[in-house]
Amino acid sequence: MAIVASNVTLSLGASDARVDILRGVDLEVPYGMSVALLGPSGSGKSSLMAVLAGLERASGGSVAVDGLDFTTLDEDGLARARRGRIGIVLQAFHLLPTMTALENVAVPMELAGFDDPFGRAAAELEAVGLGHRLTHYPSQLSGGEQQRVAIARAVAAGPKIIFADEPTGNLDGATGAAIIDLLFARRAAMSATLLIITHDPDLAARCDRVISMHDGHVVEGGV
Amino acid sequence: MNPSFATLWRIARRDLNGRYRGLRLLALCLFLGVATLAAIGSLTAGIADELQNRGQTILGGDIEVALAQREATAEEMAALNKIGSVSQTIRMRAMAIGGTNQDSLLAELKAIDGAYPFYGKLTLKDGTQVNAPPKDLAYIAPTLADRLDVKTGDTIRFGEASFKVAGLIGDEPDRLGEGFTVGPVALINMDAMASTGLIQPGSMFRAKYRIKLLVNVNPANIADRLKAQFPSAGWEITDRSNGAPGTRRFIERMGQFLTLVGLASLVIAGIGVGNGVGSYLEGKRASIATLKVTGADSGIIFRLYLMQIFTVAALAIIAGLLVGSVMPLAIGAVAGDILPIAPGFALYPAPLLASAAYGLLIALAFALPPLSRARTVPAAGLFRSVVEGDRQYDRRTVLWVSLAILSIVAIALATAREPLFSLGFIGASFILLLILWFIAWAVRWTASRLPRPKKPLLRVALANLHRPGAQTRGLVVALGLGLTLFVTLAAIQTSIGKEITRSVPQRAPSFFVLDVPRDGISKFTGIVRAAAPGAGINMIPSLRGRVIAYAGNRVDQMDTLPEGAWILNGDRGLTYSADLPKGSELTSGTWWAKDYKGPPLISLEQDVATSLGVGVGDNMTISLLGVEVEGKIASLRKVAWDNFGLNYVIVFSPGALDAAPHNMVATLTVPKAAEATLAKQLPIAFPSASLIQVGEVVSKVTGLLTQMAQAIAAAASIAILAGIAVLVGAIAASRASRIYDSVILKLLGSTRGQILGAQAIEYAILALLLGLLALGLGLLAAWFVITQIFDFHFAPDWGVLALTLIGGAGITFVLGLAGSLPILAARPSEALRSL
Repeated sequence: MAIVASNVTLSLGASDARVDILRGVDLEVPYGMSVALLGPSGSGKSSLMAVLAGLERASGGSVAVDGLDFTTLDEDGLARARRGRIGIVLQAFHLLPTMTALENVAVPMELAGFDDPFGRAAAELEAVGLGHRLTHYPSQLSGGEQQRVAIARAVAAGPKIIFADEPTGNLDGATGAAIIDLLFARRAAMSATLLIITHDPDLAARCDRVISMHDGHVVEGGV
Repeated sequence: MNPSFATLWRIARRDLNGRYRGLRLLALCLFLGVATLAAIGSLTAGIADELQNRGQTILGGDIEVALAQREATAEEMAALNKIGSVSQTIRMRAMAIGGTNQDSLLAELKAIDGAYPFYGKLTLKDGTQVNAPPKDLAYIAPTLADRLDVKTGDTIRFGEASFKVAGLIGDEPDRLGEGFTVGPVALINMDAMASTGLIQPGSMFRAKYRIKLLVNVNPANIADRLKAQFPSAGWEITDRSNGAPGTRRFIERMGQFLTLVGLASLVIAGIGVGNGVGSYLEGKRASIATLKVTGADSGIIFRLYLMQIFTVAALAIIAGLLVGSVMPLAIGAVAGDILPIAPGFALYPAPLLASAAYGLLIALAFALPPLSRARTVPAAGLFRSVVEGDRQYDRRTVLWVSLAILSIVAIALATAREPLFSLGFIGASFILLLILWFIAWAVRWTASRLPRPKKPLLRVALANLHRPGAQTRGLVVALGLGLTLFVTLAAIQTSIGKEITRSVPQRAPSFFVLDVPRDGISKFTGIVRAAAPGAGINMIPSLRGRVIAYAGNRVDQMDTLPEGAWILNGDRGLTYSADLPKGSELTSGTWWAKDYKGPPLISLEQDVATSLGVGVGDNMTISLLGVEVEGKIASLRKVAWDNFGLNYVIVFSPGALDAAPHNMVATLTVPKAAEATLAKQLPIAFPSASLIQVGEVVSKVTGLLTQMAQAIAAAASIAILAGIAVLVGAIAASRASRIYDSVILKLLGSTRGQILGAQAIEYAILALLLGLLALGLGLLAAWFVITQIFDFHFAPDWGVLALTLIGGAGITFVLGLAGSLPILAARPSEALRSL
C-alpha cells in the first residue's frame, strides 16, 4: 500500500481555541492509484493531505506512507522522509522567488543528494514544455508556467506518491485543463500514486477513485 | 543522507541573489560598529606604535636616568659613562621675563649639553638644524615669544641671567618624553645654567642623563643592572621601549574608554542586526515552508540561512575593517596637533582581529534568536494563512547566544588596560539594557491595556505601538541606549566643565608659587601684602622624596606594587608641619604636639594607607636627596583635595626634615586687580620662584577636556547612527502592514493628512518617551559618575542637555514621519491588487 491511514485525528490550537479538524479518518491507497479528494471548504481535505504528505503530524491514529510509519517521525524526520519519495503541487505554486525555474526544480534533488540534479531538472522542465524558460525567475513566468515548474519540481525526483492541492485553483479554465493533462501524463510516465484535492467533478472523474470529506470525516470512498 | 556543505552553499547563494533588504540593515549596522571599533583600535595602536618606533628620539637616548633635585655623583657618572655616551639635560620650571613691558611667564627652562640630541634633530622654525646654543643665547618656543612679545635678537631673562633669543624652536625631538608641561620651553646651554642662579639646594629641578649605548644590548637589562648597582640612588630609569610612558598611558586609557563606547554602539547595532535578520527571515517564511515541503529539515534551514547571514556579516565586517584601518590617516589629518603624535599608517592585526571578533559575535548573538525561530516555521504553513513559528528558543540557541555574549565580555576584559573599569562599564551597560528592555515591554503592555481612544486615528497610532510585529521594543532599546549614552556624556562633560571653569576659580587661590627660598619668606609676604593687604597667604615647606620601605617591605624588592599604590612610583612631594594642615581630618591616631621634638613621626593620607595596607604604628622610610629618613606613622588623615589648600599625602613631624635643603611653596588669594601687579613683581624679586596663575591652568585643562569630550562624542555618535539605522530598518520592516492600514483607512474615507497625523502621533509618543527615558537614565548615570567617581558637584548644563534631547528625539520623530511618506503615496487600487 502506498498510503495506510487509520483513525487519523488532527486538532489545532489549545484549550478553548482547540479545533478538531480531522475526526478519525481511515484510508488505504494502493501503489499506482489516482485518488480525488472532494469536499466543501473546511471539510479537512487540505489537512488530511498535509498529514499524509508529512507536512503536519497527526494528533492521533496512525499513518504509514510507502511503508514508513509517519507517526513515529518528528518534523525533521518527516522532511527527510519526503525526499525522493513524495512530490507536492500546491494551488499557489510556491516557487522560491529568488531562484530560476531550473534551480527551483533542482532544489529537492540537491537536498536528497541526487547525482546531476541540474541535468535531471532541465530534462523534466523540457518534459513539461519549459525547456526555453530554464533561466527565468518565477516573476518572469505566467501562472500556468509557474505551475508547470511546480509540477516538474514535484515529479523530477521520481516520487512514488504525488500530492496535489487544487493545482488549477489559481489558473483560468484552459490553462488549468492543460496543467491537469500534464500532471496526469507525468504521473502515468512514472506510475506514481496521485492524491489530488479538487472541487471539479470532471477532474475527479478522471481519477481511479473519489473520496468525499465532510466535517473531518471521510463520508464516501474511504478505506 | 544530508546534503553536503557545497550543495547547501549553492542553494544559500542562489537564494541570496534576490531580496535581501533585511540583510542590508544587518550589513549597515555591522559595518558602522566594526568600522568604529577598528578605527579606534587602529588609531590607538598607531599612536602607541609610533611612540615605540620613535622611542629613541622621544626619550633622547636608549636609556634615560632621571634624578630629582640633584645631579649625578661622580661615581654614578662613571657608571653611566661605562655603558655608553652620555648627554645631560637639566629641566625646571622658571619664570621667563622679557619684552618691552618686562612681562613674565612660567616656562620650562631646559639646559642641554653639546651631545644633545643623540637621536632626532633639534630644528628651528626656519628649518635650521642646531645643537645646544652658545652660553649667552637661547632658543625659545614660539608660544613663549608670542606671550612675552619677544622676537629673535631680543633679550629674555631666567633667574639672574639674560639670554639673547637666537631662534624659535620648530621641533624639540624629545618633547613627548618630557611629559606634561605647564609652560612653553626655552633651551639654553648647560654651561649657562649656573649663571641663572636657579639651581639651589632644594630647588625643584630634574637632571636627566640620556645614554646612547655603545653596543647593541637590551636596554632593559642595563636598566636593571643600574638599579641593582645603585639601589638607593632614587633615580628613575626609562628605556627606549617606552619613551613617553605618560602619553602612552593616556592614549591607551583613552583608547580603552573609546573602545567601550564603540562597543556600546555595536550592541545598538546588534539590535539592528537582530531586527534586520528577523524581518529578512519573516519575508522568507514562504520560502522556508516551501524548502521544507521539498525535503529540507530544520537543520538544513538553519544552516542555509546561517550561511547567508554569515556571508553578509563577513562582507560587512571586512568592509568595516578596511574603512576602520585607514581612518587613523583621516583622523590624523583632521585632528592635527590635537594628537600627541601623528599615527603611522600600518595594519594593526590585534585591534582589527578584536573588532572582527566583536562584529562576528554580535552578529551571532543577535541573529541566532530569529534564526532559531525561522527553523521552526512549519511546512504546513503553506496550507494555512496564519502560521506562527515557535516563540520559545531551544536550549542550543540560548547556549550559543550566552557563549557569544560571554566571549564579547572576555575579549573586552582581556584587551583592557584596566579590566575592572571595563567590567564596570560593561556591567552598567548591561543593566541599562535590561532596564530599557523592561521599559519597552512595559510600554507595549501599557499601550495594549490603555482604554481605546474614541478618535480612530489616535487609536491607530496607539495600536501601532503594541500590534503584533510592532518594533517598539527594538526601537526603545536601540534609540534609548544611544540617546542615554549621549545624555550621560553631555551631563558629565558639562558638569566637569562647570566645575573647572566656575567652581575652581571660586575656591582656588589666584597663584601657586613654587620654590620660594626659605630665607625670603618675610620679603615675599611683604611684597604680597603691599600689593594686596588682605591677601590670603598659605605657605608650607616643600620637599620631594621617594618611599623606600614601609611596614618592613623594601619597595625595590617588590615584584609588583599593590593596586592603587601610586605613591610608590618615583618622587613625591612631602612636607612637615606642626599643625594639622587645612582641609585635613584625622581618621585614626593622634596629631603630634606643637613643640614635638622626638623621633620622626608621619601622618599619612587615609586612602594611600589603605592601598599600602599600613596603619598607625607602622614604619615608613623616605629617601630625601639620597638620605634615608625613617618615621613612624602617628596618624592617618582624610584630605579634601578639592579645596586647593596646600596639602601632601606624607606630612612629617617638625624637626625631622628641617635640616634638609628645601624651599617653600605658597598659595596666594588676592583680588583680581592685584594679580597683574604680583605677576610682575614676584618673578623679579624671586627669580628662582615659579608663579603659576590658576586661570592659565584652568584654560589649559578646559581645552584638554573639550578635546577629550569631542573624541568621546565622535565615538558615541556612532551609537546614534546605529540607532537611526535601527529606526530606518523598523520603518522598512513594518512598511507592508502600514501600507495595508493606510489603504484600508483611505477606503474608509481618511485623507492623507489624517493618516499622516496618526503616524505623527505615534512617532511623537515614541520620541517623547525616548526623550524622557534618556533624560532620566542619562542623568542618573551621569550623577553617579560625577558625584561618586569624580567627587564633583553635579551641575549639568541644562541647555546643552535640552539640545541633545531635542536633537535625538527630533531625529526620531522626523525620520519616522519621513519614512511614512511613501506609505501615503500608496494608491488604494494598486495596493489592493497586490495585497
